Amino acid sequence: MFSEELKALRRMGFRQALLQALNFCNVIASGLMMWKGLGLLTNTESPIVVVLSGSMEPAFYRGDLLFLTNPVNEPYQVGDITVYKIPGEDIPIVHRVIESHYKVDTPLVQDILTKGDNNKYDDISLYKRMKWLERQHVVGKVRGFLPYVGYVTIAMNDFPQIKYALLGLMGLFALVQRE
Amino acid sequence: MHSSLQRLNNLSTFVTTCLLALLAAISLSSYLLATSPSGALDVSPVQISMRQTTPWSQKKEESAFFEFSFDADLRSLFHWNTKQVFLYLTAEYTNRHGLNNEVVIWDRIVRRKQDARVRIENGQNKYYFKEHSGSFRNVSDAQFVLKYNVMPYVGPLMYGEGGRTQSSVRFPSRY
Repeated sequence: MFSEELKALRRMGFRQALLQALNFCNVIASGLMMWKGLGLLTNTESPIVVVLSGSMEPAFYRGDLLFLTNPVNEPYQVGDITVYKIPGEDIPIVHRVIESHYKVDTPLVQDILTKGDNNKYDDISLYKRMKWLERQHVVGKVRGFLPYVGYVTIAMNDFPQIKYALLGLMGLFALVQRE
Repeated sequence: MHSSLQRLNNLSTFVTTCLLALLAAISLSSYLLATSPSGALDVSPVQISMRQTTPWSQKKEESAFFEFSFDADLRSLFHWNTKQVFLYLTAEYTNRHGLNNEVVIWDRIVRRKQDARVRIENGQNKYYFKEHSGSFRNVSDAQFVLKYNVMPYVGPLMYGEGGRTQSSVRFPSRY
């Protein structure tokens, strides 16, 4: 099945194979740099997130892509849709701010209450014994929206075979293909 | 040189580029089509009472009630890139510890242009309005603002103000 590719690999020689591997690393490194650069620009650890739950329907569905920023030296406003992470929980939550409390001279010390538009009650029960959400738990606020695209990552998480197949194919192509 | 795989690659790149350009154009059009509707908002205090504010707790807390009426015409917010409008009524005030508070007391999701003329007569809080410190004693007067968030099919989320109370509203003094 892969005899042709293997032959091509053998034909390439050591130097060429090394060059291809370097190319592959280059692609990965530039991807990582773009991600981190975007994070610096938007002041948040993850500038793009995928919606994982239906609590903001009908605005955001599972698999939609959200673009975040984290405003510098500015408190979050009521009505902002924030993405937050409770310590000890892996899954970030996308919900709207419905209460904000802060002192004017310390705008970054803020108590926040959130609620999903599609939920009946606010999020206090999600905060795990904390009474309020604090600034440090908030990853960013939603500024832009792109539907469906993030479903690829959900599919890859739900069916890991797809992920391995894709990774394997990409690796093979990167090694075998000659520019 | 021109293998079918390469052709497929070129074609999919071209299609993706076109699609992205189209989506970008639609996103940008949101900025051009943005309007600022205005409405009239009227709020009067009713009372502060002790309520059980969470369904799973027996604890009773001070909760303020305001009655509001407004007339907001949000139809101009519905253009081709509007998926829904989130309309919310906020109260802004300062408590006795100098804490700035902004609290949503009512909201609604508007999904169609037909429903975008929103008129509420003698509306009541949708959410319990509690004070951060637990007591509404010596808090400042409140400013009520009707705000909206336009949520698009693709692109930026837009925020705006649909009206505010002409003068600030006093919290009920009697408990």
